[in-house]
Amino acid sequence: MSEAENLGVNDDLDLSWMDQTGPWDTRAEESRHGLTLADIQVGEYGQVPDESDNQTGRPRGAAARSGAYRIGNYAVRTKSEIWLDNACFLYEEALQRQWSSATDVPWHTIEPLPDDIEQAQCQMATFLTEVEFVAGDVPARWVSQTTPDFFEARQLLTAQVMDESRHMDVFRKRAMANGGGLMGATGATSGFVGSIDLSRDFTEMSARLHISGEGAVLTIFRMGELMAYNDAEKAMYRLCAQDEARHVAYGVMHMRYMAETAPERHEEINCYLDEAEAGILSGSANPAGQAPITSEPLAILLGGGVAKFDEGFKKLVALRRRQIQEYKKRVVSAGFGARFENGRSRINEILEQAAA
Amino acid sequence: MAKAVKAAAKAVKSPHADAVRKAAKSPMLEIPEPKLNWMNNSRQWGVRVKPGKKGLTLGSLNVGIYGEIPMEWPDQTRNPRGAVGRKGMPPVGYMLRSKAEVWADSAADLYEEAIQRRWAPATDVPWHTVKPLSQELERAICQVSTELSQYANVEIEVISSWQHQMAYGYHEVKQYLATAGFDAARHYEVFRKRALINGGGLGLEGPGQVNRMILESRGGWTEAVVYLVLVRGLFAQTIVRYLEQYASNEAERFIYQNVLQDKARLLTYGVDHLKFAIAHGEDRKQVIATLLAIGDGLFIRDFNDPVLREALAIIFGGSIEGARRTGMDVYHDMMRSFMSTHLEYCRWLDVPRRVPERLAQYAPQA
Repeated sequence: MSEAENLGVNDDLDLSWMDQTGPWDTRAEESRHGLTLADIQVGEYGQVPDESDNQTGRPRGAAARSGAYRIGNYAVRTKSEIWLDNACFLYEEALQRQWSSATDVPWHTIEPLPDDIEQAQCQMATFLTEVEFVAGDVPARWVSQTTPDFFEARQLLTAQVMDESRHMDVFRKRAMANGGGLMGATGATSGFVGSIDLSRDFTEMSARLHISGEGAVLTIFRMGELMAYNDAEKAMYRLCAQDEARHVAYGVMHMRYMAETAPERHEEINCYLDEAEAGILSGSANPAGQAPITSEPLAILLGGGVAKFDEGFKKLVALRRRQIQEYKKRVVSAGFGARFENGRSRINEILEQAAA
Repeated sequence: MAKAVKAAAKAVKSPHADAVRKAAKSPMLEIPEPKLNWMNNSRQWGVRVKPGKKGLTLGSLNVGIYGEIPMEWPDQTRNPRGAVGRKGMPPVGYMLRSKAEVWADSAADLYEEAIQRRWAPATDVPWHTVKPLSQELERAICQVSTELSQYANVEIEVISSWQHQMAYGYHEVKQYLATAGFDAARHYEVFRKRALINGGGLGLEGPGQVNRMILESRGGWTEAVVYLVLVRGLFAQTIVRYLEQYASNEAERFIYQNVLQDKARLLTYGVDHLKFAIAHGEDRKQVIATLLAIGDGLFIRDFNDPVLREALAIIFGGSIEGARRTGMDVYHDMMRSFMSTHLEYCRWLDVPRRVPERLAQYAPQA
């Protein structure tokens, strides 16, 4: 006699579930990058609805169960609100390019630095420790509010949260690795109206976070070799730049999708961009902006010490100009380049203020 | 280390930096005098943490004032712990500002471990070892993969909905949870991939009562952990542990082994946190006991659903006939293992537990 029968459990098999499946006979095939998310977009499983009515957290393409409880009062159920066409690619790249701040940064290459340089490095590291996780906190909130029907975009946001966590820790590590310590916080990501945290809409958030905030930081990370004094710092900035480039790509590609599929929101998105441009140099979230608590240490690092502040400041101005040029390119790529031709954008005026 | 990571860590010259070097040579009208009032502004200077045999780890940074982790963290900005805060900043609005609500001593170590043990379903799973299976076995595997994918979905949603509410002073927990959310995303992905690679497809969605219970535990993160880790997490871990023993090929074995590693970390964090919460909250133990008692009812309703049970029994038995012969016995053995571990954890936490009749059949006899 079966042991189960001793327990009084009814072990008769019902098996009716075997006929309740999503599309059957699916055979996804590996590509040269392995079995990627793109490779499993097969047949109906690859069809993403424009509007999602999935309230039960059902994996897209699974058979619905009539008695399933509604668990998701998802705020994001319209594809255009969160979608980007290359989410699968960026997510797989994120998985392949994960790194460890504990072991992939050659910390042993750090040697004692002059006090002014160490202070500048630690002030920058404090700032980056402070601001990097706004890009973890906020995407996490949106992940939980997005229907799993758009899981590709959600996976990428989850990878971003992971990346930002690593950025928060690598800069904390830098501040404490070389005889310095943390310095003054700036409050750059506090709860101001217009801040990334307080965005009420995903695209609004993405414009503030991905296009404006992370775009500016990406330019700085790419200049890492100009402000690094050893291989550890160079590695740190380069590895962070790889991650940040994916996050910025999210924003650009999402905005492009919006531009193509939601023309009724163009004016609104232009308003977000107006706002982003207004804060690009004057806001405290850009470390190359005009706030002395970050721009001065950056100039000291770029120049090579307080005594070479003038030289560093010239590089800082060049860097600001580059930030603005790169911002323009991204907005053009996202499909909103008309604003630079029709007089809407004030970016040229802002460019003139770069030396202030 | 992936090639791209290695290349990035070693690259020497960047064209972006060259462009700035050149641009900086153009003349400028006026250079402002630096104020330098941010200098010498540190609560503790002269810190020099050296990498140990596991590199420069997050936990090793907890030296001097940087290792002081207060029981309350009233600051609602992103002032890093140990930095000099800026006064007058509007709050971001962190809800969880008490250490007892989030903390686990193991969080920093789990964070580093998660990063070291990262894996990629696309390239690390030997997918080529998946070969055609009998229809009934393939259907069962696809059904279980569908439900495990859905479990991972709940994990993603719960973790991400709480993580951003945690105060910055407890960054080790926020950082560990970033890895846990990422792990869950990988599980969501890998089980979907398994369902779609071998001539099958996704099956029937789960009944969702436990899913709702976990998502509805809005009273606090500790309450969510009770359901997410001590009930569902442990149940899922037990399922995967048994699946690993009955894997049809190397790909499945790899998936289950790696998912188990990831789940073990979440379980460690969860139990560690519950212990900490109980030690620092007068009635926490009773609250957890009440939650578990309420949870039992919903867990039993999910458990009464035959779909997952039958699919697992078919996998354990190798066929429908095998399910009748031995698979169902293995399933009951699995349930006993789950209950036994669950009750062990409850005992370790010193949480009083009265197991309802329907589950008592699986509880070890006193």
